[in-house]
Formats: sequence, C-alpha cells, structure tokens
Amino acid sequence: MLEASGLMVFYENMLALNNVSIRCASDQIIGVFGANSAGKSTLMYALSGIMLDIRKKEEMSGGERITMAGSIRFDGRELINEKPSRRARAGIVLCPERRRIFKESTVLENLKIGGYLATASQAAETLDFVLRIFPALNRLKNRVGGFLSGGEQQMLAIGRALMAQPKMLLLDEPLLGLSPLMQAMLMRATREIRDERKIAIIITEQYARPVIPIVDHAFILENGSAVMEGTRQELMDNPDVRSAYFGI
Amino acid sequence: MDILIYGTINSVTLALYALGFALVYGVSRLPNFAHGAIYVLSGFIAWSVINTLGLNHLLAIVITMVVTALIGSAIYLIFLIRVRGMAISEIIASYAIALAILEGLRWKGFKGMTYTLPVFIEGSTSIAGVSVDYQRLLVVGVGAALVAFLWVFTHHTRIGLALRGMAQDERAALMLGIDSDVMAVVAMGLGSMLAALAALMLLPLGNIVVESGYNVLILAIAVCIVGGIGSWAGAVMAAFLIGFAQILTVVYLGAHYQMVVALLAIILTLILKPSGLFGQQKELEERV
Repeated sequence: MLEASGLMVFYENMLALNNVSIRCASDQIIGVFGANSAGKSTLMYALSGIMLDIRKKEEMSGGERITMAGSIRFDGRELINEKPSRRARAGIVLCPERRRIFKESTVLENLKIGGYLATASQAAETLDFVLRIFPALNRLKNRVGGFLSGGEQQMLAIGRALMAQPKMLLLDEPLLGLSPLMQAMLMRATREIRDERKIAIIITEQYARPVIPIVDHAFILENGSAVMEGTRQELMDNPDVRSAYFGI
Repeated sequence: MDILIYGTINSVTLALYALGFALVYGVSRLPNFAHGAIYVLSGFIAWSVINTLGLNHLLAIVITMVVTALIGSAIYLIFLIRVRGMAISEIIASYAIALAILEGLRWKGFKGMTYTLPVFIEGSTSIAGVSVDYQRLLVVGVGAALVAFLWVFTHHTRIGLALRGMAQDERAALMLGIDSDVMAVVAMGLGSMLAALAALMLLPLGNIVVESGYNVLILAIAVCIVGGIGSWAGAVMAAFLIGFAQILTVVYLGAHYQMVVALLAIILTLILKPSGLFGQQKELEERV
C-alpha cells in the first residue's frame, strides 16, 4: 500500500533522514522505534507532506535550507511532490507529536474540523466509532480542548485524525508522557482501529515495550538511518534491541 | 444619552471596519493592508452599478459584495500568494496594492465630494430625546446580525470550522487535509466581502472619498491590535472601547482628536500589553 524508498532529508548540511525505506501493507501496524532525534518525526513529516510546508516556510523566512529526495508510492501513486492536503485526500493522515489539538475549540468541534474531508454520512458514522472506542470523550464533548488532560487530548487527536477518513494513519509518539494504564488503553484502541476500519497504521515511539505487542513489523531508526527491521519476534529476539528499546 | 447612542453607533462602525481585517489575519496571518482600499473600491463599484447600470439598490448590494469578494480572492491569488510567509513583504505588497487601488481611483477621476450612495431608508427618529437617522440604526442592526452570522458560520459549517482550525494551528489543519492556500483565498474573499458590507452600510452617511481608505485601514488595525490580533471576539470588544473613547473625545475635547485616540490606543497597547486585551491565551501558550 505504502512504499517509501530512499527517503533523504537534509537540514542545511545535517542529514536527518538517510536513505530510509519503509513499507506498509494495507492491514498492517508498523512500528518505528528510535531515540530522541533519530529522525522519527522527520520521517512522519516526510510521509505526510508536512515537510514540504516546513521547507516552504523556512525558505520564505530565510531560515534553514531543507532538501528532500526519495520516492513515496501510495496505492500506486507517486506522492513525493504532493502537498499535505493532497496526501490527506489520498488517505495519509498524520496524528502529530504533542497532539496539536485545537485548544480553543470544544472536543466536538475538534472532531468536526477533522471531518473536513468527510461527507456528512461518513462524518456521522466515524463520530460514532470514535466515541465507541474512546468512551471517555462522550462526557467531554463540550469541554474546550485546552482543558483536557494529556491522555484525553491524545484520544481526541487520534479521533480527529480518524474523522479525516484515512486509509493510513501515522501516529507520531502517541504515548508521550502518558500513564501505563492510558498507554495500554490507547494501544488496544489502535489495534481496534486497524481490525475494524482496515486502516494501516505506522506508529513511532521511543520506548518499544508498550507498542511491540500490537505491531506486525518494525523498524529501528538510529541517527537518521534504518539500522534494523524485522517482525515482532525477530526484534524481540535481538539482544541489542532488547536492551536499548525494551529495557529488559 | 447621546454619548451612549452615538458611542454605540461609532463602535459598531469600527467593528464593521475591523472584522474583515481580523478574519484575514486570524486565518492566514496575513496583514491585509489593502483592506481600506478594498472598502473604498467597493463603494465606487456600488456607485457605478447604481448610476451607470441603473440597477435597483438591493441588487446593487449583492453584486457589489460578490464582485468585491472576487477582487479580494484575486489579490491573494495573483499577488500575496507569492510573498506569503515573508512578514515584511506581505505588508509592503498589500500596501502597494492599496496605493495602486486608491491612487488609481483618484487618477480615474473618482475624487471630490460628488460621489454618494443612497441611504436605504430616509428619515430619522428620536430615541430618548436624541435624534438618530434610520441609516445609523440600520448600521447597528446589520453589525449585530453580522456578528451572529459569523458565529453561526464559524461554529456550524464545514468551511467555517476549517477556517477556525486553520486560525488556531495551521500545521494541524494541514494534516487533516485543509489546504492553507484555499483557506487564505476563502478568508480574503470573505474579508473583502465584509469590507464591502461595511462600505455599503457606512458610505451612504457621507461622501465616497478616496482618503477614507487610509483612515479605515488605520482604524481597523487599531481595533485589531487593541483586541489582540487574530481574536475576533477581542476585535468586537476593542471596537466598543475605542468607539466610546472616540465619542467621549469628540464631546469633551473636539472632533479633530478622533484619529489621535485610535493611534494612541495602538501605542499604549503595544507598550503595556503587546498581545492585546484578549490575547492572553496565546501569550500563555508561548510561555509554556
């Protein structure tokens, strides 16, 4: 479904993403693990097209020069030069790091804004689904987004991304700063999203342990390069990976 | 009593000037310095439609608003899209467009005291002993209706909600498939339409003069800065603050200090509370 190959991103002369290739089939959950500044968010921005927007902003304000290369094929279409809005329309939706919910709008409004690309019936049906997998949002419907706790914000951010009718959901560090209980709940919900909606998911995280039970395949990023990939079992069996990303 | 009535009218006038500017800035972070020029231009469009095409008043209003919205969108698509993101260039480009429009109108002979728009309803009435003409009352009515309309539009329609999303966090909106340029075109169109509406309501009270384009721009900026730039509710509040301050100056100091009040409001706000009266939330976020 998604096949990205040879992705390179430079910030000025610093190599942030070095020849990374990543594949994801339509029913898979793919994990991408790596430490801070390994290039996880850069990868997500490159896949979702946000990098093009960052590059344009930097160019206009005379900031960093960003260079990109590689290929992103999605459902047989080449997307590397498509704007983020076109990629979202094609089905790639990013749920960003630090959630970025609309803080001055209510929970319901956040979800409605997320439904910009959906038809009225799709939006209504997806809203029901979101409230079913995240029942906690039900009683918060009219609460302003900025007043939600971190876990609630994360549920909202994932729900909002689902409203955009993705075929592929990119989750960038969804567990950042959350309690183990909330982490487990979110991972259950993530699996449900894949199973019920047939949405492919790529999920990045620093610490692999809470995520590894639900992934089919995973990549390990180090200093911008994909140094290892394998199935869940292959990663679990590798002693280096175990000590670095599972803390066992 | 007349302070209260004329203060309200003046405040609503300022709000009408400022809402279009605040909308465009809020959504696109684009300070549209051509706002005042678009206001004057729409006045002349309405005058031309009424006097040369001879259409009736209501039709002229609709045509003027649509044409002005198209002009606003075109200004973005042709000029501003190229400098988007370069703060200084945005100001210079939009101000250059304002000069081109206003001085172009002057060059074409649209000057002097000869151009007026007809009022909607002739006559006047008196409220608590103060005489007010119907047109001014209509201004207040339209202003209130406009605020209500904008509230419904931005809370219950797909495009309106998308505009709010874009205004709050552009990048998050991009991730949801909302296109930044499309929204900027919509905002410029809508903002220009609001300028046209303001012109159609307010110009019948006087003459259409090119110079008022500059005054409208300054007043709109003053209201937006005092209210906290990008905050629509703040803009309405600030319009009342400056509106009443102006009327009080007129009554107690003299009419020619009116503009000084607006400029002083800009300076004081920038010194004392640069984020504006209602910009606290933004300020807090930046600190976190």
